[in-house]
Amino acid sequence: MNATSNQMSAGPLAGQTFHLPVSREFVTVVISTIALIGVCLLFAPSSLSYGALEGSLPFAALIAIVGLGQLLVVQQGGFDLSLAGGVSLAVVISTHYPQGNNALLFPAVLMAIACAIMAGLANGILVSLFRLNAIVATIGVNALLYGAVFAVSGGVPKTTTTLLAAIAGNRTLGIPNSLYFALAALLVVSFFLKKSAAGRRFEAIGANPLAARAVGLRVQLHQLLAYVFAQLLYCLAGLLLAGITREPTAFQGDSLLLPSVAVVVLGGTSLLGGRGFPISTVIASFFLNQLSQFALAVGVPYSAQTIIQALALGFGIGVYSVRWTINMTRQTEPV
Amino acid sequence: MKFLDKQNLALTAVATAIALGCCNFAQAETPSWCGPKKASIALLDGYGGNSWRQVTTASGKEEALKCPSITKYEYADGQGDTQKSISDVKAMAAKGVDALVVFPDAGQAMLPAITSVFKSGKVIVPYRVEAGGQAGTNYTKFVGTDFKNDGQNWGNWIKSVLPQGGNILFVSGPAGNSQGLDELVGLKSVLGPEYKFINPEPFDVTNWDPALTQKVLTAEIAKNSKIDVIVSDFGPSLVGALPLFKQSGRSIPALATSDGNSLGCLWTDVHQDNPDFKLFTVSTENDNVRLAVQWAVAAVTGGTPPTEETFKGPVFENSVTGAPHPVQCRKDLPGQIYLSAELSPEEQTKAVSTK
Repeated sequence: MNATSNQMSAGPLAGQTFHLPVSREFVTVVISTIALIGVCLLFAPSSLSYGALEGSLPFAALIAIVGLGQLLVVQQGGFDLSLAGGVSLAVVISTHYPQGNNALLFPAVLMAIACAIMAGLANGILVSLFRLNAIVATIGVNALLYGAVFAVSGGVPKTTTTLLAAIAGNRTLGIPNSLYFALAALLVVSFFLKKSAAGRRFEAIGANPLAARAVGLRVQLHQLLAYVFAQLLYCLAGLLLAGITREPTAFQGDSLLLPSVAVVVLGGTSLLGGRGFPISTVIASFFLNQLSQFALAVGVPYSAQTIIQALALGFGIGVYSVRWTINMTRQTEPV
Repeated sequence: MKFLDKQNLALTAVATAIALGCCNFAQAETPSWCGPKKASIALLDGYGGNSWRQVTTASGKEEALKCPSITKYEYADGQGDTQKSISDVKAMAAKGVDALVVFPDAGQAMLPAITSVFKSGKVIVPYRVEAGGQAGTNYTKFVGTDFKNDGQNWGNWIKSVLPQGGNILFVSGPAGNSQGLDELVGLKSVLGPEYKFINPEPFDVTNWDPALTQKVLTAEIAKNSKIDVIVSDFGPSLVGALPLFKQSGRSIPALATSDGNSLGCLWTDVHQDNPDFKLFTVSTENDNVRLAVQWAVAAVTGGTPPTEETFKGPVFENSVTGAPHPVQCRKDLPGQIYLSAELSPEEQTKAVSTK
């Protein structure tokens, strides 16, 4: 509680001290990304070639979309571990139900969306109404979702329909289509959070639920909807993933869970809830993806690749922790 | 009279055909590894949730039921959970199953359970993944797979299509997996220094995951302007990644890998636009389970054990010579079946459609 209060007060104070037109989180992630691009240009220029970017950016787009979903939940002080099950379920519904028949793709997409809404409602009801710990509740729902994945697929991959492969995997004006979907998701989430009254209420509730309840805001409803919107974004990512990889496995969502949390943290959003930074989260997705492409291009062993990513995450958390400590110090000086 | 002669001749022919048919039937019904003693058998998977395992399970069942002495066939799936796999092994033995064929995915963690079942007097045959221990002490027989043989087969083909040497990109599954390491030993035993491995030692890690394979290949294509041949031990995981070459304006290079219907169909669709795309596959080795079943059945029913002790995956497709087979594609059937397997494509389709 103290921490969330500090988080709220740190925002305006930081603005007064430095008079930055953009948030410090945004500046940090942009500088880190530019620095990474510089390192790539020096040591692994091939990772920034058109062919490499064209092949890797669709995966950055996927991380960005699931990151935006995780962002909404983290803003409410929650944590969504059902992401892996949500993405995997969308993948298997969109590949198994049509069985390669393009005509059945649209009903499959509707089914996937319906499942996502149900999963989001289950998470939201358990966390906001029944007050279950978010980690425990979403682990449980994740197990249910994987039960559904097995029921649909039996764990067996199916080849994607040609229509979905074209929608998700083709290019428009030389840019992979998945990037347009990520951009659309970013615009919707940013507009909702920053420009709508509901979005402002959403952030205020995340920063301090007790104060929000005291002023009459519907805390439980906003928390519940965070999980529903998050699942819808996971569903979108699952559908795109099914199109981008021609023969996706039934457990394709597993590898997206850690990156989704990493980009939220790297984007500067506090894991304690409150203000969210969607644009920074999307830039952090590019950063994280480029970092793994850099490691692959340099040709370091697999163990080192994992360590490099973990160090980047530690660096992200460290940067924001240091800033937070300085703010605390300054906050006490005038008093 | 003539009519009677014809009738007699026809009857004789029919009788002969029936007799011969009976003999063939009897031969097919009782292979040499099938003894007279009645017994039940179980197949235990550490992880049964993919099409390869489903085809393998169906193959194991088909093989076991070739022996009329087998009265019951059971199956259990560990679902990737080591605890469950261990309790499955013990539960099957406790239920009174006489012979167990085990895919010990969890490796050495399975050895105590396997040993205790063996010590209780059951026949137990682990296959494909080594669980440690010794035959006769911890289990009846271990039926391994000769992955070095696959590496040698790929290496010999690479020498035939690139006699002057070239750049090889070798991709395998999880980091340090013994299958990939053995295949590399096989490759290097055949290929000289004129063949350069351009991947990080010992191989590019893909976890056999199509998404990670796509990312790895993207980086390798951007980094290496010249890739002459790709070697992969799971061909179907490359299906989504190979079109990346087209996006970079390059031809898909030669590919030495394992078979899969989706891969064969990809080659059929795109090889004319990709002049360098030569394809060579070894069998994906679903039939490894058949040899393990034969050993288990022979031991439990008193049959003659097979002569082979290790499964050697045969060469399957060669797009250059067409021998032993040209590239196979059955577009009417799912991409997730393996035409190299002995199990008929229709039976495989049934197996992979089962939920």
